[in-house]
This record gives sequence, structure tokens and C-alpha cells, in this order.
Amino acid sequence: MLLPVSAALLRAQSGQPPPAQAAADGPRGKAVYTAHCVECHGASGQGDGPAAAFLTPRPLDLTSGKYKIRTTETGSIPTDEDLIRSVTDGLNGSAMPGWRGVLPDGDIRDVVGYIKTLSPRFAAETPQPVAIGAAVETSPESVVRGLRIYERLRCAACHGTDGRGAGAIAQQFKDDWNQPLHASDLTEPWTFHGGAAPRDIYLRFRTGMSGTPMPSFVGTATEAEMWDLANYVASLARKPVWAMSAPDVAALYARQDAEARANPVKRGEYLVDSMGCVLCHSAYDAQKRMLPGMRLAGGTLIRVEPFGDFVTGNLTSDKETGLASWTGDEIKRTITKGILKNGTRLLPYPMDWASFSSLHPDDLNAIVAYLRTVPPVRNRVPPPRWTSFPIYMWGKFRLLILGTDPPMTFFAGNAGATAGR
Amino acid sequence: MMRYVKRALVVIVVLAIGGFCAFLYYIPPFFITPPEKFGADFAAAAPGVADIADPAERAIAERGRYIVVTGGCIGCHATNGPQGPDLTKYLAGGGLKLVTPERTYVSRNLTPDKETGLGRRSDDEVKRVLRSGVFPDGHVVPANVMPWGTFSNWSAEDRHAVVVYLRHLKPIRHQTPEPGPAGSLPPGAFEQDYGLKDYGVATK
Repeated sequence: MLLPVSAALLRAQSGQPPPAQAAADGPRGKAVYTAHCVECHGASGQGDGPAAAFLTPRPLDLTSGKYKIRTTETGSIPTDEDLIRSVTDGLNGSAMPGWRGVLPDGDIRDVVGYIKTLSPRFAAETPQPVAIGAAVETSPESVVRGLRIYERLRCAACHGTDGRGAGAIAQQFKDDWNQPLHASDLTEPWTFHGGAAPRDIYLRFRTGMSGTPMPSFVGTATEAEMWDLANYVASLARKPVWAMSAPDVAALYARQDAEARANPVKRGEYLVDSMGCVLCHSAYDAQKRMLPGMRLAGGTLIRVEPFGDFVTGNLTSDKETGLASWTGDEIKRTITKGILKNGTRLLPYPMDWASFSSLHPDDLNAIVAYLRTVPPVRNRVPPPRWTSFPIYMWGKFRLLILGTDPPMTFFAGNAGATAGR
Repeated sequence: MMRYVKRALVVIVVLAIGGFCAFLYYIPPFFITPPEKFGADFAAAAPGVADIADPAERAIAERGRYIVVTGGCIGCHATNGPQGPDLTKYLAGGGLKLVTPERTYVSRNLTPDKETGLGRRSDDEVKRVLRSGVFPDGHVVPANVMPWGTFSNWSAEDRHAVVVYLRHLKPIRHQTPEPGPAGSLPPGAFEQDYGLKDYGVATK
């Protein structure tokens, strides 16, 4: 507690501007933050908003002061320009959008001012910008030198020999907050968080990416070597699908399909994460944040008028309450036909099995293969509860005669027995 | 004579009401229809991509169609007909109302119509909603209303394919309501009905 106070005093004495300009644009910055940032970064800034649990990588914990994309030394806080650039342009390969054209520049500056007040580090420390060494222009020689440095620094351990994870030793990554993370696919520069120009790539080597396993190479590589490595990584880029010719698109899709068949668990994880299974089949607290450890364990209550209350099932591999006792065919029949193991038919919503029935058999197998790997969570959810006769009749009258849309109501919480009880 | 007429009338009225109730009770929505038909109808409703001239774009749109169909966009963005969704108006929206404690949301028109659909949005604007839930006016839609939090996990190329496909839908003019105030929510339903007063943190 002492350190920030004394640092602020020191700075005031030395005539520098007061830290974080909290007094000047605090209220405005906070209003911008509340309107636009809370869904992911959370009201407290800890990166725990309602959307956070769905996203890989997770939204940043702004209270930590650890930023991936910086032009400052390892361990240093970022400069204001770094933050403004990240907010303005967004971070590719994540859910952080560029706010250019959505928010006026003044709002972006104000919200950056507010974000800095969330971590005490900004009041206590001064950013230490790196001295960027003389750039090495890209050339075949530089790329060859870069390849040798790629091998020497063992980049392949995480990114693979081809930049796409081939032969990588590490497969599962966690950030400093113990949340899942993917190693960047180096052949897809449009997913690089901090930009794809050689200078951007060089800066990631120079500064490291705080909070992630990506280290800084200061001390293990020289300035020129880091530029060579940046040129090599830039040379790995392939064309994105929107710039491809028809044969290229066909080849890419064929390769992706083959990889999906070879690694169904990975493909299944992609499908489960992106198709929204997680959204309903998890339990949430009153602030709509996913309860820790309840991913895919079911328990969200959905009231569909006029039919009744439905609680989402436990999809983890738990023996008694999860899917461990279901065969693959039973799981697939539920996904594609809406018929549970015990023969109960589901309504066509909220579980959208009619759409899922178009899934390719390989993708269905992939989903089952992935669900088998989800760690077991004990959470027994109650069976559906259909409404009483008069409510059902009144609802049907409204639905069919009056033409009222049937509303759906989601209730946060865990309608299953909480684990351990 | 009058008495018989009265009795007959009463019987007729009772029969009519009873018949109406029985009709209301037994008319589907759903369970008369075999499950396979739902899926087949949904898949057939999505327009094909064979009429796209450029082969690269056709292949990308085909991938986008697969994601749109299996991702279940139609589950929310359908348009209601007299009985269930009107599948001739593919993704014209309005078919689902979601009630949250903050606002009531109605699914939007995703067809390329210039005034009421996505025709008024640029590709980047559509992608920003799919990736970050941010509308062009800066409004952030909750990730449990429009599931952008999970769609955000699509690779950038798959997201592009989705947008390419949506651009090839038939434009349908259909104005859907903007988000409105919160609807009537049964208060405390969770606590009353399920006796769970604590949002306990589960342990493995």
C-alpha cells in the first residue's frame, strides 16, 4: 500500500503530470467502460464478465496491469499509446474488437484513463519503452537465419516445426490466471493479437507477452536475431481464405477436413465451443457469470411458455449424472433427433436438434469424442416440468389464436443439486 | 318447443367449447411430427449456393451454409408463420422473443434486405457482432442473448464464410422490433420452484 502513495508523491514533486488523470476523465471513462466493456472484462475489471467464460483467450484481467501487447520492457506497464492502440484497433485472434468508428477518439482516451485506475501499478510505476534496434529488412538470407534461430530457441516446442503445431511438445496452455490459451498458428498472421508486420512480430519477441507462456528473448537472442526471426515468422504466412483462388480453397478445406478426422477431439472442442453447447449446458451465478467448474455440467433453467421448465443436461463424463453411461449413439440421437436416452422427446427449442441434425457424421463423432474428454462434474439436474393444463391451454390459445410469440426465459443458477450436496 | 331449442343450444355451445379445447390441446405444435422431418425441413429451407458464379466464393459460401445450418441460426432468427416457423422466409427474424431482466430482445432480420436486414451493414460490422457482440452504435448485446461469445470461437475464416453465405440469402423485407423494456418475469421463479436460494459454487 505504501509504494503507490510514495511514488505519486515523488512524481508530484518532480513536476510530472499526475498519474492516470483519474480526476479529469474518470467519470466519463467509467461511463464508457460500463456501457461497452463490462460484458467481457466485468464490472470490477477482473476479466470475469458474463461473456468471459466462453472466450479463448479470456478477456484480460485489467486489475493485474499485465498487458500482452506493449512496446515496453518485460514486466513493465504499457504506455498510454499502447493501450489506445489496442482499444482502437482491437486484438486480432481474440474477441477484443477495434473500437475505431464505433467510439469517438475522446471516449477511447477517457476509457484508457479509467482502465489505468483499475490497477495500482499505473500510479506506482512509469512505463519503460524499449529501444527498438535497427530493423533488418526481410531477405532470403534473413529468413534462413531466422529459421536457425527458430530452431535454436525451440519455438517448435509450442508452435510446431511448421508454425501450426506439428510435433509440438506442449499442447495445452494456461495463462497466469490458469485459463486456457492456444499457441498462435504462425501461418495465419491475421490472428496475431498485436499485428502482423515484422515490426509487430519483433516487438512480441523483444517485450514478451505478459501473462502468457510467450517469453521475451532479450538475453537469449540479439536484436538482429530477433528481427531475423520476425522475418522468418512473417515468411510462414499463408493466404487467408478471402484471398484464395478456387483450387486453394478446395485444398485448404480438404486439409482441414483431414485434420479434423485425424484429431476428432480437437475438432469436437472447436464445435462445442463455437456452436453454443457451453452457453446453455453450464450453470451461472446471479450476475450471469459461469460458476467455476460448472462448464458443460448443465443446470441452467429455461422456461418455455407455455410448455414448461427445462433444465439443461450435464454433458460432462460423470458416471451417474453426466454422459458416461450414455453410448455414442444415444448422444448422437439426442443431438440430431431430440430423443433422450429414456425415450423422452424434446421440444424443437431451446435445444436446436433440428439444426444439429445436419451435422456431418464426422463432426458428430468429433463432438462425442470431445465430450468423453470433459472432466466429470457431479451435478444431477431435475427432469423437465411441464406446465399445468389451464396454463398450457391459455398459452396455446395465445400462441395459436392470438399469434403471440412464445417468450423464453432463462434463469441463471444451478437447478441441479449443487455438487457435493 | 322453446325448451327443446334452448337445450339444443346449450348442448351445441358446450360441444363447441369442448371441441375447441380439444382442438387446442391436440393441435401440434410439435410431437405429431417425426423428428427427421424437422431436420430435413430446416436443411432444405437454407438456400443452396449452386447459383454463385465464382467457384472460390461458391466453395466458401458452401462452408458458410454448413455453419449457418448446423449452428442453428434458424433456431432464433426464423419468422413465425401460422403454425411454427415460416421456412420460406429464411432467417428473416422476428420469430423469437427473449426476455431478460434488463431488456426484451427480438431476433433480427439476417437477410440482405437494404432497409430491414443486414443489407444496411458492412461485412466488418456483421463480423464485429459475431466476434464481439458490438453493434455499429456501440451497444453490446449480452452473450447469453445472442450467443456471440461462442461464435467468437469461430476461426476468422469460418466467420468470413458465414458472412459470405448470409450475403447470398434472398432479401426479405421484414421489420423486426428493436430491443424493448424488460418483459414480465415471474419473480423469484428459481427460488420458489426449485428451492435453491444460494448460487453455490460447485466443487469437482
